[in-house]
Parts: sequence; structure tokens; C-alpha cells
Amino acid sequence: MPKHYRPAGKKKEGNAAKYVTRTQAVKYLQISLPVFRKLCILKGVFPRVPKKKVKGNHHSYYHMKDIMFLKHEPLLEKLRDIRTYDKKIKKAVSKKNRDLAERLLTRKPSYTLDMLVRERYPKFIDALRDLDDCLSMVHLFAALPAVDRAVDGEKIPVERVHNCRRLSHEWLAYISRTHKLRKTFISVKGIYYQAEVEGQIVTWLTPHALQQVLPEVDYRVLLTFLEFYETLLAFVNYKLYRSINVNYPPILDPRLEALAADLYALSRYFDANGKSKQIENQQEGTNLDESEVRLAQLHQHLPSNEPGALMHLLDDGSNKDDQDLETRECKSLFKNVKFFLSREVPRESLLFVIPAFGGTVSWEGEGAPFDESDDSITHQVVDRPIQGRKFLSREYVQPQWVYDCVNARILLPTDKYMVGCIPPPHLSPFVDNEAEGHVPDYAEAIERMKAAGRKEVLPLPGTGIEDLDDPQGLLVSDRQEAIEAAKRKQQISMLEKQYLDELKLELKGAPPFSQDIDAVGGGDDAISDVQQIADDVSNMSKVVMPRKKRKLLEAMEMSKERKRSSVNRLKERKKNIDQAKNLA
Amino acid sequence: MKPLKENGSDKPKKNEKDRKKLQKLVAKNMEETLKRIEEAEPGTESSEDSPFVSGEGDSDDGDNDGDLVSEGEDDDNYHAEDSHGESDDSREVVEESDSSEDEVAPRNTVGDVPLEWYKDEGHIGYDLAGKKIKKKERQSKLDSFLANVDDSRSWRKIYDQYNDEEVELTKDETKLIGRLLKGKAPHPDFDPYAPYVDWFAWDGAKHPLSNAPEPKRRFIPSKWESKTVLRLVRAIRKGLIKFDEKPKEKPRFFDLWDDSTSAERQGLAYIPAPKAKLPGHDESYNPSAEYIPTQEEINAYQLLFEEDRPKFIPKQFANMRSVPAYDKSVQELFDRHLDLYLCPRVHKKRINIDPESLKPKLPSRRDLKPYPSTCYLEYKGHKGPVITISVESTGQWLASGSKDGTVRIWEIETGRCVQIWDLGEPVEQVSWNPKPEVPMLAVAVGHDVFILNTKCGSDEQQKTIEEILHVEPQKVEDDSDSTANVVTWGQDEKHGGIRLKHFKLSKKQTQRIPFKTKGIPVATSFHPTRSIFFTATKKDVRVYDLIKQKRIKKLDAGVREISSIAIHPGGDNAIVGSRDGKLCWFDMDLSSKPYKVLRAHKKDLTAVAYHRTYPLFASCSDDNTAYVFHGMVYSDLNENPLIVPLQILRGHSTGDGRGVMDCKFHPRQPWLFTAGSDSLIKLYCH
Repeated sequence: MPKHYRPAGKKKEGNAAKYVTRTQAVKYLQISLPVFRKLCILKGVFPRVPKKKVKGNHHSYYHMKDIMFLKHEPLLEKLRDIRTYDKKIKKAVSKKNRDLAERLLTRKPSYTLDMLVRERYPKFIDALRDLDDCLSMVHLFAALPAVDRAVDGEKIPVERVHNCRRLSHEWLAYISRTHKLRKTFISVKGIYYQAEVEGQIVTWLTPHALQQVLPEVDYRVLLTFLEFYETLLAFVNYKLYRSINVNYPPILDPRLEALAADLYALSRYFDANGKSKQIENQQEGTNLDESEVRLAQLHQHLPSNEPGALMHLLDDGSNKDDQDLETRECKSLFKNVKFFLSREVPRESLLFVIPAFGGTVSWEGEGAPFDESDDSITHQVVDRPIQGRKFLSREYVQPQWVYDCVNARILLPTDKYMVGCIPPPHLSPFVDNEAEGHVPDYAEAIERMKAAGRKEVLPLPGTGIEDLDDPQGLLVSDRQEAIEAAKRKQQISMLEKQYLDELKLELKGAPPFSQDIDAVGGGDDAISDVQQIADDVSNMSKVVMPRKKRKLLEAMEMSKERKRSSVNRLKERKKNIDQAKNLA
Repeated sequence: MKPLKENGSDKPKKNEKDRKKLQKLVAKNMEETLKRIEEAEPGTESSEDSPFVSGEGDSDDGDNDGDLVSEGEDDDNYHAEDSHGESDDSREVVEESDSSEDEVAPRNTVGDVPLEWYKDEGHIGYDLAGKKIKKKERQSKLDSFLANVDDSRSWRKIYDQYNDEEVELTKDETKLIGRLLKGKAPHPDFDPYAPYVDWFAWDGAKHPLSNAPEPKRRFIPSKWESKTVLRLVRAIRKGLIKFDEKPKEKPRFFDLWDDSTSAERQGLAYIPAPKAKLPGHDESYNPSAEYIPTQEEINAYQLLFEEDRPKFIPKQFANMRSVPAYDKSVQELFDRHLDLYLCPRVHKKRINIDPESLKPKLPSRRDLKPYPSTCYLEYKGHKGPVITISVESTGQWLASGSKDGTVRIWEIETGRCVQIWDLGEPVEQVSWNPKPEVPMLAVAVGHDVFILNTKCGSDEQQKTIEEILHVEPQKVEDDSDSTANVVTWGQDEKHGGIRLKHFKLSKKQTQRIPFKTKGIPVATSFHPTRSIFFTATKKDVRVYDLIKQKRIKKLDAGVREISSIAIHPGGDNAIVGSRDGKLCWFDMDLSSKPYKVLRAHKKDLTAVAYHRTYPLFASCSDDNTAYVFHGMVYSDLNENPLIVPLQILRGHSTGDGRGVMDCKFHPRQPWLFTAGSDSLIKLYCH
């Protein structure tokens, strides 16, 4: 008799009825496996783990309710229609009935995933919460080459790449415009950004702007995901744009678009849109879209670093009440700093980051708002040792300076970031150094600088024209941070004291061991004895623990030990490096 | 057919007889396929073949060609003539071509087998008579080449592997092949573009097939069509159908999350996928120097298993422009998304607890005082590992036996060695008389047991001891069943005692254990109050009633190898030490399984001991430690014994590969004696 025998005619119950394997599910839905995969991806159905795996351990199980959910999806029927329609086209083509084929092609049934987005994310917050993978993928595909290799079956259509590029720019423009960017990190894999949108932390990775490597993977899976992500991101962008009273989809200045300065074009569009709302009554009778385009072009001719325009920009942001402290702090970081980007620096990333923190930026090339010879430029971002002509009035910094400033939220001294020298280590802002147990030197240095900056609000040496009537937000936030830091310090000292007390108590509780040491005849030194006693105390209670708990405790200790050993390894390396430095 | 006919009639006729023969042959040749050509056998058809071949051979090439061409033409017209006049003959030709396979039997009868089978043989097959057909001698390459050069017709020669001979193709055959190569019909006479003969044309074709009259419906307009037209016209008039307008496009994107509709998720509970891990300092393009592994460490990674190797090796780039594209970005994205749709998701409770909270709440050790905690005295003097110790019941004397063959008696308070016996052999066990008024010592050495007068008591006590220790010379016992275990009870003058074995002390007679023990006993013990006897074998502990002489209980420790046992002074609890470092507490009223298993030691337990009065017990092990536990047994049967580990006693060092060999409590004080293999005895006091 099989293990899970059920008499004929008896209804299935429990796990056998609730969960089906993938093969069963495919059979039940009467679809092919690729279609099933596609549906699962689009509907967000994933396997689940039943309590009892009726069919064995090596299957993936789907909940029957999930399968029913797929079964009643209108998309399923639509996909079937498309399949039959494709067959019709194929038939017409192979019968050389070109007319029919063309006519059929023009009326091909299509589907949208709008309602699926709505279904999967009933609230906007839910969508934002799940946006990490979406953004990473869209940004990566925006950097991929369009591939049309019919032989391998992999095909990345060029429209999809363009769409991804557009969507990613729209997202970046929104984040930059609303100053929601919080952290950046240049890693080997690309540049990580972290933004806070409506209270949700969104982190994404953009690849370095270079030719990407295309490995042999199943691109159909990726493209199916991308299909959903494109729809999702477009709707999210729509919602976000609407929240700041900007029309979506944006209409960009074709000239800037041709120059591949989409991000800048978008920011111009924002300005234009904001202004058009204000002067709408003046521009009556004209087509709204056209006026926007014209306005954008108009702005193009105006020097955009004109203070009036800038002030308008800032006003636009600051009249919102719901802006929190952090946003205000972020907004004013590069408030009076004017950047110029050289040719070799990652322009797109810097065009995104610098305006996000309130700076003005231009670049070398056509369509730039101001050119290199502008006297008001305070910082020039370069990544090449040889410069044609150097302006004495400005600082020449490596791109890392911008990112480090952003993470530290202060303007760091630029002397270490001079062109041609290796900049100080770039540290990840996502790491909690205290929790990790090892604080890199430069992190400490930054902390010290921050503390110093808080005590005395002096303009840093790098920024000569740091205005003194700086926004109040900065001061407020400084004070708050100081309070927080003081609290933390107090807590740490308290903990230390407590620990010392406990140690003392332990020693008192232990018998007068100095005497026994004599009796034993000169044992080890007292420190190791104390260590021994502490160990013993901890071991003692382990003796009476049940095995299950003991194993759990051991596992926890092991993981702690692993962490500690990795920290120790770092410290060891650090010591060796320092020693080598001292010797040299 | 017709042009052929005309053609044929134009040409003149020549030598009738010769032509007939020739025609036959050529017709046949034309019909044959290449294979058949090769297989054509001159022997069987010599009558037909010979004229042609000989003619060709005799005449020179140029002539022959001309002849052949003319003959071919002739043949054509002859054929036509044939079809015209001699229908019989032509049919014969056709038949011949069809069944040529039957007619021209192959010389070789080997059949349709791969010829490789005959590769190494001297023959190529068998003829009709069943004789072997010998292979021809192979020409050397040079010869064949020279022959080829000399022979102008060599290009026409084909080697017939099957019959092992060279066949020369005739002109017609080559022509036939040429036609086949061009994709034409093999027969030159075949006309693919012959005019169509309409077999179905007949004279009376002007009449229709059917004489039925045209139906009326062919003449009246369709009702349904007019209805459809009417419908369309109406729709156009109403403006439902528009021609010049494009369908108005709705905006592609809209506010999907407006608050008008309910925001409830359908279906099962959504489990959000865990977010991707955020990068640490080491993934930076310019990490801090300590995050970059040294070259040695990178080399060491190669020694690791592939799955253990770090996936990512930090590297430093001097500036941002030198950072290359990350080659695994698509792969990593793909892996992540495979996880997203293929990995089963479960809500897992992450245990985020303080590890300290896992540890059981034990009563404070301070409340459980007194217990031995520190080393107070050392008893030095033994030359070898101290195997066994015993404390006198008054608590004044300590006896110890060592591997160096000596038994020593120490004064506990001072640590002075009072007496030494050298017994010559390693001492296995020493034990004081439990009665304090008769201070005698039993010592097990090798196969013997000594009972020694320690001379520790007063003069009266000495007298009684001497009385007890006096033995008559051995007399042969009558008991037949005890003869096997006869033990000599002899006075030992040298040490002032007696030597003996299993015994009843009062009668000075040995008594045999009346029960069978399974396995070798490793430790034994008496019940402190009742006449019950515990025997521990390697696997389990058996409890025997000595009066009823039967087994009353079996305790299953579930450990690998039992090494020692001790009984609680109350008698209801026992502790058993094992060689896998476990200590089992048995509550004998509760169950035959251990009430608690304590895994304290890392190595073999050597001895366990209960304190006689204090709620203490101890275990010692080869890992040079002794544990002291608080073991409170309540008189209330509902309450389980309370076991609290109190102290780990260290101080002994390893000697002889062993650690602490024995431990005993002081009978009155909460003190513990431990005997170590480093030839020391230590006293731990509170």
C-alpha cells in the first residue's frame, strides 16, 4: 500500500488537497510550462512550503488557492487568444498570404498589466516597499545593449531598453527634484542609491555606465519580470509626479534628449511645468504641451544659474510643509556649491546626485547650462591628472568627494581628494560600524569632522563662499544630532560602568582566589584566572541545559564567534598595514 | 511521341541486323542505373555485348566516337520506327529494362552485405557454384597512376568493388550520367513538354451536365444582405460608425491607487521577498586597506572548497574611471529573480533573543554554600599516579593507593603522611572500614585483597583489630558450590594484615554472588541502608536484592560505556558516570531511565561521589577537572531532585594520559579530595 493511500472516492483532505506540485498545477491549468512561469511571475505567485510534503521532498508545491487565483485570471485567457492568433499569422505567412498576415498583424491582441499591479499592490505604499528589485532591474536594462539574436532565442528589443532608460530617468529626476536621496555608495558592482520615499527606504543599484557583459541566462524570465516592472514603475512615477503637480508622462526637450542629457532635460521639464502652472492664465489658448516644450527651450536660452531661477526652484520645494528635517538637510548640503563636471566623470550619476543635494551642476559638452569658464564655479569634478587650464578660484576634486560628502552630510575638506592622488577609502553608508565591531579610520575621521562642524559653524576650508545665513534646518538638525550623540555617549558609558560593576561583583562572589593560587603553588596570572572563572560560570549553566537549547546556544555562539573572528581579521590586517607603514 | 515519329520517318535505314543488336544493348544501357552498369556482366551476355565492345576496342577513338554518335542518332530513329512498326520489339526492350535485374545475375552471390567484412579476406565472395571469387592483385599506386596517364579513357573507368573488377563505361552510359547530372530525364527520347491530350474532350461537349432549370434565387437579391446593409447604413447615420476619425486614445497611465476602490489584497497572505543584502565596506571600489585580503590569503582561498571560497574578493581601484563594468551583474540579477519566483517563501520566526536567556534560571550559588571551591591542601609523596583514595569515617585519616604500589595514610588536617605500605603491585582500590571504632583498611592489589591494620586507633581498638585480623590457617571447606571461589585467608606478616578475596567478613568466609551478571561489571556499590547491591556493567546498572537473591531493577543509562556509580545516602537516587563524559542522575522511584543527563566533562568520567550529609555530589574526569554539583533530594516525593552545578575544580595536570582518577568527599565537612594522575592528592575546601 502506498504511503499516502486514500480509498477511491474519498475526498482529499489536508495537505494533499491544499497543495499541488508544479506539474499538477500546470496540468490543472491546461497550459504549457513557459506560460505557467510567465503567469506566476506576473501574478507574483510563488511556491509555498506545506507542512507535509505529500509528493516528496524534491517538488515545489503551490497552494491550491494560488492556482485557482491563476485559473481565474483574465490574462490566462488572453494569453491563449494570443497564442491562437499567432498561429493564424504563422499559417497566413506560410501560405504566402501576405495580405492576410499583414492585416492580422495590425490587429494583434495585446494586454496590459495595469490591474495586476493594482492587485498585487493594493496600496501605493506596498508598491514602494517592493520597488528595490524593480528599480535595479530597470536600471540595469537601461544600460544593456539591445540584442536580437534569434538563434539563441534571446532577444532584448531596443524599445524595451529605451523604455527602461526613460523610466529610470523619470524616477531619478523625481528623487533628485524632491531631494529624497539619502545615501550613495560606489561599489565595484555599480552605484548604490538609497532614497526615502513616503517613509519607505528604497535602495537600488545602477551599473557603471559601461558596456555590460551578457552571460548565457534565460532572458525570457528576465523580460517577463521586466514587463511587469515597467508597468509598475510607470504607475509609480505617475503617482509621484502627480504628487508634486507635474504632468506625466513628461515631454522632454528633443534637443537635450538627442544629446543624451535626459536627466537634465527632465529637471528643466520640472521647472517648466512648475512655472507653467503659475503663469497658466497668461498662456491661455495655447496647447499646454507645446507651451511646456517651448518654455523648456526658453529656459535653455536663459542662464539657468541665474539666482532668480534658483530661488524659484528652492521656493518650490520649501513651500511644502510635509518636508521633514532630513530632506531639508539634504537639500541644503550643496546649496551654494556650483559644480562643473569634466568629460571623464560619470556624468549621469553626478547629474542626479548633485541636484538632489541642492547643488547646481554643469558639464562639458553641448546643452550644458554654463560652461567651464564660468567664474562662479566652486568645484570642478575631474578624474584625470592632466588638466588643460586650471582655474585658481575653484577646487578640483575627484568624483568620490561628492559621494563622500553626501554620505557624511557635510562638505569634507577637499585636500585629500585632489586629482591624481588616491582618495581616502570610500566607505559604505549601509554599514552600522558599531554593530559590526570595526570602525575604519576614515569613518572615525569623518565623525570627528562632523562633531567639530557641529560645535562651531565655521565655513569649511573647501568652500570659501559658504554663506553664513544658512538655513535654520541645518542648525536645528545639528542640535538634534548633538543631543543624540550625547545620549549615545552617555548610554555607552553607562553600559561600561555596569559591565565593570558586574565584573567586580563576580570577582567578589568568587572565593578569594589569590590565596588558592598560593596554595596551588603559583598558578597563572590573575587575568587568566578571571577569564577562567567567567568561562566556568557560563559553562556551568550549559551543563544542565536540554540538548535542544544547548545546540541553539552553541549555534548562536558560533555565529558570534565567526563575526568576531572576521572583525579580528580586519584588525589584524590593519595592524600589519600600520606596522609596515611605520617601518617604511 | 509525334515529333519522334516525324523524326524517325526522315532518317534513312541502314544495315538492319547489326543495328538491331546494337539497339538492344544501348537501350538496355540507357535504362540501367549506375549501379546496374557497374554490375553488368560481360560473361553472361557475351553474345550481345561482344560486338560492341570488340568494335570499340578495335577502332581508334576518334572514329569510334563518330560512330557512336551516329549510332545514337540512328538508335533514336530506330526506336521511333520500332514504336511505329514493330510494337513487339519495343515492348521487349521495355521489359528488358524493367527486369534487367533478374536477367543479369550478378557474378558474385555474396548478397547485400557490407564489403568491409571481406576486407581482410583473400576472396571477395562466391560465384554461383559456391566457389570463392579471388580478389585481384592490387596495382601499386604508381602503376595505376601511370596506367591512368597512358590510358586516355581512364576517366571512364570505374572500379566495381562488388565484383572486384574495373568497368569501363560506354559512351552512352556516360551520356546517360551526364543527363542525370543535369537533372534531365535519363532517356533522351523522353519529352517532358509533350502537348496535352485532353482525354475528356468529346464531340457532344456542348450539352450541359445537368438539364435542371436555373433556380429563382439566382435572380432575386439577398434578403439578409440587404438587412445587413440597412443596419450599417443606420449605424452610419446615427454616427455609430465613423470613418475618418481615429479611435481616441486613452492616456496610458492613470492614478492606479486612487482611494475610490477598496485596497484589500485578494488571495493568500502575501509574503514579501527578503530584500537584497546591502553592500558592506568591502564592496567599495576603493575600500579601506584592511578590507583587501593579502596575496597569501587570496592564495589560501584556492585551497578551500569551491563553495566555501568567498564569492567576492575586494579590490582597490586608484580612481573611479578605472573601475570596469561588473561582469556578473546580469547573472546576479538573474539569480535574484529566479529566487523571487522559484523559491518557496515562508514566514520564519527569527529568534532574536539574548543567548543568556536560553540558559536556565539556576538558584544563586551563594545560597547553596558551603561547597568545595578552592584547593586548600596538597598531599605529596606518591611516585606514581594516585589511583584511589578513601577517607576514614571520622574524617581524620585519608588512605590512598597509587600505581607505584604503595598505600599511604595521611593525616587530613596537616597533610602528613602517617604510614606507608609498599605492596609491590599497582593498587586498584583502597577502602576504610566504615565503622570508625575499627580503623582497618582494605586494599585491592592485583588479584589479592589486603586487610591492613592501620594502627590509627586507641590501644583498645588496636586489640580488637588484631583479634579480627587474626586468621587460623586455611582449612578446606566442604561447600561444594563455593569451592570454585575458594580464597586463601592468610596472615600477612609483612604488612600486618590478611589477604583474601570475596568474603563474609564476620565468618571470614567467601560468598559467591548468587546472580548471573551479563557483561563484565565495571563498578559496584552497596545500598547505604538496605541489603541491596548495585552492579554496573558497561551498558546498564542492575540492582539486586541480596536477601531475596534476585534482581529487582535494571537502570538503563543510555550512554556508551559506564565507568562509575555512586548511590545517594538516601538510597533512592544514584549517579552513574560514563566514558563519554556524561553523568546520569537516576531517580529510582521515578523511572529506569535517567532523570537528568549532565554533559559536563569533555573526556571520560573516572569517578562519581555523593556527600554523606551535605546535598553535594561530584564527578571527576580525565580532562583534569572535577565538577561539584548541588543535588538536593526532597523528602516530598512529588518534588524532583534539584541539581545545580556549583563549581569546576581545576588544578590537576595530565600525567600518564589520564586526569583526575578519583574523588571522595570528606564525611563531615563539605570538602572534596581528588586524586590525580600527576601523583598528587588535593583537598578542596569551601
